[in-house]
Amino acid sequence: CTDDLNIIPNDEDTLLADEAFANEAAYKQLLAGVYANLALTGTDGAGSSNIQGLDAGTSQFGRVLLYLQTLSADQMIWSYENDPGTREIQRNIWTAQNPLILGMFSRSHATIAFANNFLNETTDEKLDSRNVSAGVRAQIVNYRAEARLLRAMSYYYMMDLFGKANFVTETSGINVVPPVIERPELFTFIEEELLAIENDLIDANQNEYGRVDKGVAWMILAKMYLNSEVYIGAPNYDKCLEYCNKILTSSYTLATDYKHNFMADNNTNSATNEIIFPIVSDGATTQNFGPTTVMINGSVGSLEVNGQEVGVTQGGWGGALRVRKQFADLFGGGLFSNDDRNTLITANRPIDITDISDRDTGYIIQKYSNATSTGGFGIDLTFVDTDFPLFRLADVHLMYAEAHLRGGGGTLATAVDLVNDLRTRANNPNLISAGDLTLDFILDERSRELHWEAHRRQDLIRFNRYTGGNYNWAWKGNGSNGISIPAHFDLYPIPNLSLSSNPNLTQNPGY
Amino acid sequence: GTVTDKANAMPLPGVNVIVKGTSRGTSTDFDGNYTLELSDGETVVVSYLGYTTQEIIYSGQSRLDVALVEDAAQLDEVILIGYGTTTVKDATGSVESVTAKDFTRGNIVTPENLLAGRVAGVNITSDGGRPGASGTIRIRGGSSINASNDPLIVIDGLPISNDNVNGSRGILSTINPNDIESFSILKDASATAIYGSRAANGVIIIVTKKGRDSFSADIDTQFSFGENFNEIDVFSGDEFRDLVNSQPINGTTLDTSLLGTENTDWQDEIFRNTVSAIHNITLRGSLFNALPTRFSFGTTRQEGALITSLNERRNLSLSLNPSLFDDHLKINVNANMAFEDNRFANAGEIGAALRYDPTQPVMDGNPDFGGFYQHVDANGLVQNGTTNPVYNLVFRDDLGDVNRVFGNINLDYNFHFLPELRAVLNLGYDRSESRTSIEARFATQDNVSRESSSAFQERTNESLDGFLTYTRDLGDFGFDVTGGYSYQRFANSGSFTGNILDPQAVGDNFADPDVVLIGFFGRANLSLYDKYRLTLNYRRDGTSRFSEENQWGDFWSVAGAWQISDEDFLKDSNTISNLKLRASYGLTGQQDIGARDIFLRRLRRGRPDSVFQFGNVPIQTLLPSALNPDLKWEETSTLEFGIDYGLFNNRISGTLGVFLRTTDDLLFDAPVADGSNFTNNIVQNIGSLETRGLEFSIDASVVNNDNVNWNLNFNATFLDREITQLAFGQDVTTGGIGGGTGNFIQIQREGEAPNSFYVFKQLYDANGSPIEGAYADLNGDNIINDEDRYVKENPYPNTTLGFQSNLNYKNFDFSFNLRASLGGYIYNNVNSSRAQYELLQDNAVLGNIPTSVLQTNFQRTSDVIISDLYIENASFLRMDNITLGYTFKDISSVLKSLRIWAGVQNAFIITDYSGLDPEVSLSGGSPGVDNTIFPRQRNFLVGANFKF
Repeated sequence: CTDDLNIIPNDEDTLLADEAFANEAAYKQLLAGVYANLALTGTDGAGSSNIQGLDAGTSQFGRVLLYLQTLSADQMIWSYENDPGTREIQRNIWTAQNPLILGMFSRSHATIAFANNFLNETTDEKLDSRNVSAGVRAQIVNYRAEARLLRAMSYYYMMDLFGKANFVTETSGINVVPPVIERPELFTFIEEELLAIENDLIDANQNEYGRVDKGVAWMILAKMYLNSEVYIGAPNYDKCLEYCNKILTSSYTLATDYKHNFMADNNTNSATNEIIFPIVSDGATTQNFGPTTVMINGSVGSLEVNGQEVGVTQGGWGGALRVRKQFADLFGGGLFSNDDRNTLITANRPIDITDISDRDTGYIIQKYSNATSTGGFGIDLTFVDTDFPLFRLADVHLMYAEAHLRGGGGTLATAVDLVNDLRTRANNPNLISAGDLTLDFILDERSRELHWEAHRRQDLIRFNRYTGGNYNWAWKGNGSNGISIPAHFDLYPIPNLSLSSNPNLTQNPGY
Repeated sequence: GTVTDKANAMPLPGVNVIVKGTSRGTSTDFDGNYTLELSDGETVVVSYLGYTTQEIIYSGQSRLDVALVEDAAQLDEVILIGYGTTTVKDATGSVESVTAKDFTRGNIVTPENLLAGRVAGVNITSDGGRPGASGTIRIRGGSSINASNDPLIVIDGLPISNDNVNGSRGILSTINPNDIESFSILKDASATAIYGSRAANGVIIIVTKKGRDSFSADIDTQFSFGENFNEIDVFSGDEFRDLVNSQPINGTTLDTSLLGTENTDWQDEIFRNTVSAIHNITLRGSLFNALPTRFSFGTTRQEGALITSLNERRNLSLSLNPSLFDDHLKINVNANMAFEDNRFANAGEIGAALRYDPTQPVMDGNPDFGGFYQHVDANGLVQNGTTNPVYNLVFRDDLGDVNRVFGNINLDYNFHFLPELRAVLNLGYDRSESRTSIEARFATQDNVSRESSSAFQERTNESLDGFLTYTRDLGDFGFDVTGGYSYQRFANSGSFTGNILDPQAVGDNFADPDVVLIGFFGRANLSLYDKYRLTLNYRRDGTSRFSEENQWGDFWSVAGAWQISDEDFLKDSNTISNLKLRASYGLTGQQDIGARDIFLRRLRRGRPDSVFQFGNVPIQTLLPSALNPDLKWEETSTLEFGIDYGLFNNRISGTLGVFLRTTDDLLFDAPVADGSNFTNNIVQNIGSLETRGLEFSIDASVVNNDNVNWNLNFNATFLDREITQLAFGQDVTTGGIGGGTGNFIQIQREGEAPNSFYVFKQLYDANGSPIEGAYADLNGDNIINDEDRYVKENPYPNTTLGFQSNLNYKNFDFSFNLRASLGGYIYNNVNSSRAQYELLQDNAVLGNIPTSVLQTNFQRTSDVIISDLYIENASFLRMDNITLGYTFKDISSVLKSLRIWAGVQNAFIITDYSGLDPEVSLSGGSPGVDNTIFPRQRNFLVGANFKF
């Protein structure tokens, strides 16, 4: 009886494809799986992971994005440098061995693989063979567009962070070594994909909360065009402004309160009309060690022990996160004392961090919270309910202003109004006038509005302030006052493990 | 007359008593008695398998009682091999048999410890002193990296699974050592290839004791008293107060108002002296005068050094061994039941005890915590930081209740019409079920401060083997051939509730895919002139772990032996009594990896806490699982040359062997091109591992006369393992450590031993003191980063030595076992993650640190944790046990003998290692990393053995 060797899974949660797709609800569940790879690290709790080479919880997409875009710049310090990779990222001394860089590269490519799998399971041929009903097939048109968008978004981050990616589509074979494409081809691919799926996406701000729609496609396009000089050496500010306008003329509105965007109920309060795409987090159903869980627990102060105010354990993570001096200075000078965006806690704390492990130095902030806008709290004291606002409307306001200043068209008056809308919303009476609107101002205002939202490295590179010595912040280049870093740090290295598994990949110059 | 065993005065049935030079003779009955008519001057030859033959000249006595002495090195001693038997003389492979008289003694709770230090190439290590825990067995260091390195264990023909159920202390922890008759250890490919698929790491065949025709009863009882004899040096309360007041942390001021007034040694509070007891009753005899039967009942109760930790076990064993049709059909039925009850103590509290503020009391009457002290703030809320380890232990009731039933039915039939042909059928069954539960209270700020959870698990293992053996002796030429079939199925399933007091926690049911192994095997043994021997083995094995295209593997071996001592030029040598040259080469396989269905396209549902939300409504997720349809067998080839020798009528005997073992197509977790799979790392057949080894053993019967019998055994193993190829030549980091999330300390690298330590090179000042955070810039790029790490040593000993002495003087017996391990290294994670001044601040409270900080004066863990300073030599010499006994013989007609004995286990250890114990676990993900060990106690033992 050698046939006994051909086993099938016994676990009720593990299904073979035929079994799974006998139920038409499986298509939406499979799509949810693609989305889930942005919020969760695995299928079996916050400690499980479908990628390896680093700590499971740390490998969450939003978390590694936060490390690579924010911790690597001038806004954030992580106190526990024995957590692998953090020291090298925040001191800008990383190498291709860095596990956090591996996490970003592998996690994003996993999203690409999951999206490709979705596309493969929903071809007309497969749907025909499974006799899928017309109603579900109509929805699958949207689903497929969303899977392609999530794939394009992953390639967008690869283009931004690494300048290249393994090029895998639904026609690539399993375990087949893929070709590699670099920024120009990536730029074209992402652009073409997003334009190709636009009609199949649900209208902006009209899809179910947590799912992508036209607004997200426009947002990615606007960001690509804004950074087009960095990516392909050619400006596209007019197109950036065009897509900003598409978003601004849709039904999105700023949240009534700046803080609503960062609270436990930002999936139901006024922020739902501002947040264009969230990474969902829930203390009961979507538990993860993602960016909001890390930032809310981590920004509880070592001296303040203020965890209860933000809905986590009193001590939180004992002062894991603080801010660097250069960021704190942006709120100095009295203009921002009552600005809602200024959540600095400064009492009994020196502004300088001369010893990173000394959690009593440097200011802390209280931007994110597991409290709700109505006075309640998230359901769990560690895993927060707060969704991470990956894209939100305020960013579009500032992108419009910047694209205008960089020659993308539009009007100065609109640009100024859009910036002042944000100040007004933040209850800051110090509005700007047309003469105040400079590129330098925009860079600072972006930090005040969008700090700890995983945009900073990209912004500094666009302003040529990241590498080199134009702008040195505390601990840049491993000096407590900051020193110049070489230009090749504008791109991250391809992680060693990824490099080794694809002979078509080459290391970025300088590494 | 009566023939007895000299060692214990027990009668020996079936002994041949023959008049020399004639065909006259008889054999002893069940009570060892015989009757024979003799004339003066005739010589009587008394021989029995495994005993030294005696010749006695008859001189008219009416009785001729003979006491036979067991022979340690009888060449015709039967050794069990796969699907058959051989003898010491006939063996062509590297096979070693260890019987009861050679067992390592002491407080032996699990069977593998009977072998500790006893056999060259076999290393048994526990990961500490957990009560009842099975050790890890490694034969020749293991042939795999990510696949299993456990040997195949076969109990009475039933190959058991190497996976145990939750709540049990290990796969062998349910087996009563008292029931074991002998072990056969198969090491080279010649011996193991017949087990093909599971044999790459060697095979251990366990034979349990069987029934006899004559009645006997044994009662064994022993008590042991354990004490800790070493602890990690941390600051005492007074020293701690001085240290905190001296404010040793740069840039941070410790709040001295947090200091208490006590002097608590938290290690004293969590550890205890222990009392353990083992009792066994064994009855042997013939039921209805026709059915040889053995029944045993044993109980074990062992306290753990860590308070609350306990292991209790009850074993029932029944063996029925009838023979039918003039011994043509032999039937062996073995049935065993084991009931294991454990209370687990969280070993993490050892770390908490090192850390907890020594100036605070154990109890202060705080009613919120059952009278135990906790760090609380003015509002009575627990402060962030380590919590009272005694409280955590006392209020955590972590129980495991395991019931195991295993056994087999073995039918062995010699054909009536063709006595050369034998058919054997073996049916085996092994089922373990466990119920585990945790009831605990925590001192925490979390809203869930209690846990109540339970789980159930069931593992089964069903097996069927059948084979035919044809044996023929044609004068100078003899041969036997064996062919057979083997089927085995393993299943595992269960459920857990999660913490039912935590509304966010979830439970689940789980069921692993079954593992099915099917094999077809054959063997031929050829011998010429009884001097030249050839053994051929072949096995074709299938596993359910691989896809249909890859599931079959072919394994084989060829071995030859030359009995030089039977050649004319040596036959009459008085010095060399045995000399045999052996050579073998063969291929064995490995498929034992965690993945059971990775070749299948599967979708996995997210657990209820791992789903997504669309429109604020939870939606089930489906994610495709990692996929590798190309996975196939890992293959290990072994080339071995050996010499078996015996000198002076085998009073000195032993073996010398050298081998080269190469594993190719290693089942290795390696990166896969990002985006081309649903993960970045899958198990693949990539890489090679090479092991070179030399094994040597010598047994000596130093004195052997009527009053004194002194045997010595010494064995030595030299091993050198090296990774010769890895996926894409790429280093793989491994070896997780404490201190930071996700840190690692080891590397798999081509040209190095597996799990080599990968560290920064510490720099020292002019006084020889380490400079904090200063490392050598090994690649000279003026930046100290991960690329400056280097390989320094590895955890595995290159030399292991064992030495046993057994001395009998009249009725006294005295034995000891020494064991040494040389050349292994250890990463002292206790010091690396704890001995820095900044850790005096333990979140909101104060925390203790090891006094070794005084040698380094290090401030920050993150600056020093990867330093090579923490790589220490783990070589040691351990006196495993010393035993002294006295036997009262012929006490009455009922009580035949009584032995009383006393001993010391773990009597002493000699090592340079600065930590608690240099013998840390060498298995698992972080071999050789000392991150607090469950201490091995020194045990004082007393016992008595009654024979009826």
